[in-house]
Amino acid sequence: MGQIVGIDLGTTYSLVAYVEKTTGRPVCIADEAGRTLLPSVVSLDAGGSFVVGWPARERLLTQPERTVYSVKRLMGKGLADVEDELKLFHWRVAPGSDSVIRIALGEKVLTPPEISALILRELKQRAEKFFGEEVTQAVITVPAYFNDGQRQATKDAGRIAGLEVLRLVNEPTAASLAYGLDQRREGVVAVYDFGGGTFDISILKLKEGLFEVQATNGDTHLGGDDIDDLLLEQARAEIRARFQTDITAAEQVQDLRQRLIAAKHELSSAEQTAIRFAVPGKGSYERVLGRAEFESWIAPIVARTIGPCKLALKDAGVKPEEIDEVVLVGGSTRLPLVRRRVEEFFGRRPHTELNPDEVVALGAAVQADILATGVKDMLLLDVTPLSLGIETIGGAVAKIIPRNSTIPASATELFTTSVDNQTGVDIHVVQGERELVQDCRSLARFTLKIPPQPAGLPRVEVKFLIDANGILSVTARDLRTGEQQSVEVKPSYGLTDEEVERMILESIEYAEADFQQVQLIAARTEGENLLRATQKALAEEQAKQLAREERERIERAVAEVKEAMATQDYKLIRERLEELNQATYHLAEMLMDTAVQAALKGKRADEVNL
Amino acid sequence: MTESTADAGATTGRACWDCGAVVEGEHFCPSCGKIQPPLPGQDYFAFFGLPRKLALDAKQLEQKFHQLSWKLHPDNFSTASAYERDLSLEKAAVLNDAYRTLREPVARVEYLLELEGIRREGEIKQQAPPDLLEEVFELNEYLEELRAARRAGSDSREVDDLRHRLEAARREFEGKLEAVDAELSACFEKWDALVDSNPAGAARKQTMEQMSEILNRHSYLRNLVRNVTEELEA
Repeated sequence: MGQIVGIDLGTTYSLVAYVEKTTGRPVCIADEAGRTLLPSVVSLDAGGSFVVGWPARERLLTQPERTVYSVKRLMGKGLADVEDELKLFHWRVAPGSDSVIRIALGEKVLTPPEISALILRELKQRAEKFFGEEVTQAVITVPAYFNDGQRQATKDAGRIAGLEVLRLVNEPTAASLAYGLDQRREGVVAVYDFGGGTFDISILKLKEGLFEVQATNGDTHLGGDDIDDLLLEQARAEIRARFQTDITAAEQVQDLRQRLIAAKHELSSAEQTAIRFAVPGKGSYERVLGRAEFESWIAPIVARTIGPCKLALKDAGVKPEEIDEVVLVGGSTRLPLVRRRVEEFFGRRPHTELNPDEVVALGAAVQADILATGVKDMLLLDVTPLSLGIETIGGAVAKIIPRNSTIPASATELFTTSVDNQTGVDIHVVQGERELVQDCRSLARFTLKIPPQPAGLPRVEVKFLIDANGILSVTARDLRTGEQQSVEVKPSYGLTDEEVERMILESIEYAEADFQQVQLIAARTEGENLLRATQKALAEEQAKQLAREERERIERAVAEVKEAMATQDYKLIRERLEELNQATYHLAEMLMDTAVQAALKGKRADEVNL
Repeated sequence: MTESTADAGATTGRACWDCGAVVEGEHFCPSCGKIQPPLPGQDYFAFFGLPRKLALDAKQLEQKFHQLSWKLHPDNFSTASAYERDLSLEKAAVLNDAYRTLREPVARVEYLLELEGIRREGEIKQQAPPDLLEEVFELNEYLEELRAARRAGSDSREVDDLRHRLEAARREFEGKLEAVDAELSACFEKWDALVDSNPAGAARKQTMEQMSEILNRHSYLRNLVRNVTEELEA
C-alpha cells in the first residue's frame, strides 16, 4: 500500500500531512518555498490552465473574475442557500445551480467539488513530489457540523482529484487526535474550532487511547470570512460617507479586503493598526483602527459561537466546569477576543500551544496512519451532528437516528401500502432538528418498489445506515420474500454518480499531467541514486585501474544525466540513465569481482567497501 | 422475536463463513478469529451478551461497549476483505444502536417492552396522572399567561412574577418525575427477579404492563417539564 496522506481541505487554507515512520509523529508537507499552507484559491489563466494556491491568491487582485476563494462555503449547497452571500463573494453563478452551484470562471463553468478537486490535486502532487511515488489514498477532514450533502460533496471532490477517500474525519476530532497524541491525556476535552468559514464545538472523552465524541454542534456559515466581510462593509460605508463613492469594482474590493485582513491579523498582537486604501480618483482612505473598536464590531460574530457551545455541553450532559481542557483550533482563534470569550465561558484558560492552522491536518495524518497500519492503540468514536428523519403525514418529521449518535449508526423502518395494488411508496429523507420537513435539510428522495398486493399486506424493511464518514446509505428488503431490493436514491443537493464519473473522465487530462509528474519524480529519484552510486564507485581503489577513455565516458554520461535532470523530460532522463548504466558496466563488474574474491576469502562483502 | 430471555446462550449450530468451525452467538470465530455476520433476530441485550434484565450497571455497560468498539470498529478492517469490511460496518452500527438504547433507562425499558410485544415501536401514550390534573391545569394557565404577557409587552415585574411561579411549578414537577423514575427502577428489580425465576407468562405480563403505564406517565411529565423549560429559556 502506498503512502496514505491526511488532508485538511480548509475554507482559507489547505494542508497535507503524513506520519513519519521513524518518529511516529505527524508532519505537514511543505512546498518548494517551505510553506505548509496552500491558499484554497483557484484561478483560470488566459491559456485555460488552472492556477492553484499562492499564485492564484495574487490573481485575486488582478483577475478577480477568473479567481475563486472560500469555495468550501458552497459545498453541498443549492442556489437558495447562498443568495445572501453571493453579494459579498463575487462568485459568478451560472444557470442550473438549484441543486448544485455552478460557478463561471472565465470560459469554464465548474461545481464546488471540481474546484475543491483542483486544490486536492495540488496537495496530492506536493505529496507525490515529496515521497517520489504516486499517492492515491487520503483521509480528508470536514467540519463536524457538515451535513450529509456537504460530506458527499467533499468525497466527490476527492474522487475527481484521483484520490480514494478512505475516511472523512471531523475537524475538531482530528485536532483532538493530534492533541491527545502528545501525552496520554485523559478526561473531558472541549475542542473549539473557529476557522475561515465554519465553527465547530466538540466535547470528547479521552480514555486509554479511545477518543469518544460525546456531542458536537456548530455553524457551517460562521468564520473568519464573516469578520472580513463585516470589516469590508464597515470600510465601504466609511468611504461612501467620506468620498461619496462606492467601492464596487472586483479588483478594488479584493484590494480593500486584503488590506483589512492584514489589519485584522495585526490586531491579534498590536493594540492598533493603520489602514490605507487609495480610493480611485478621490484620494486616500486612511484610518487608525484600535483593538477596542475592532472588537466592538466583531463581538456579535464571536458571540454567535457561544450558543452552539451551550447546546453541545447540554447534549453531552456536561457542565462547563466539568471540562478538563479546552483546545483551540482554526485561524480565527488567534483573535484575543475569541480567547477571552472562550476562557470566560469555560472558566479556564484554553490550550494554544498547538499551531491552530496545522493541527487538523496533523490529526488527519494520524487517522490515515491508523487506517494504513492498523495501529490498535488509538480509536476514534465520532457522532453524527444532525438528527436523521423521514417525512410523515402532514409534512412532519419522524426522527430515526438522533443527533450525536455514535457512528456508524443505523435504523430500520417497516413500510407497507395504504391502497390495494399500490406499487410504490415515496420516501423523503431529511436531516435537522426541527419538527417540520420544510425546516429541515432535504437529503434525498426515493421510491420503494412494491409488488401489487392488497393494502397493508406488503412488508418492506428499509435500513438507513450512517457510516463512519457520516454519510447515509439506504437499503431495502422485502420481508415476505426476503429479497434485497435496490434503492435508487436521488440526492436533493449535490452531484449524481454519473456527473462525478463524467468529471473524473474530464479530469483525465490533468491525470495525464499527474502521470508525467510522477514519472519525472521517479526518474529524478533514480537519477540521484545512480549518480551517488557512480561517484562512490569512482572513488574506490579499483577505479584507478579504469582506462582513461573509459573514465571519460563515464564522466560524460554523468554530465549528460545531470543536464537531463534539470529538464522536465522524464523520457530523456531515462535514456541518459541507461547510457550511464552502460558506461559504468565494466566498473561495476570490477567492483563485483573484488567483492566475490573477498567473499571467497571469507570476508564479508561490506568490509571491502562495495 | 423469541420469547427466550437470553439469546446469548442459545445454540445455533452456525458455522464460521471462513473456516467452518462452529460459532455460537460470538462476534468472532473462536477458531480462526474472523468477524461473523450478525445473528438473525439477535436483540440488543444478546448483542452485549446480556440477559434481558433491566437493572444494568452503567459503568459495566460502558466498559463492555468500549471493549466491543475496539474490536468491531471499521478502522480495524481497513485492510481486510470487502466482505469483512461490510460486516464490521453493520456490526459496529448495531453495537452503537444497542448502546444508545440500553444506556438510557427509559429507552431500555421501552425497547424491552417492544421486544416482548407489549408496546409498539414509537408508541407513546401520554397520560396525565389523574392525581395531578389540577396542578397540570394550573401550570398550563401560567404558561398561557406568560405568553400573553410577553405578547402584550407587559412590564418586567409581571413577567418576572409569572416566571417565578413557573419555576416553582417546574421544580415541583421535576420532583414528581424523579418519583416516577424511582417507581420505574423498583419495577426493574422486580422484572429482573422474574427473569431469574422464569415464572408463567401472566406474572411477567403484569409487570410489563405496570412498567408500560409508568412510562406513559413519565413521558407526559417529561414533556411538561420540557415545555416549561423551553418557555422559560425563550
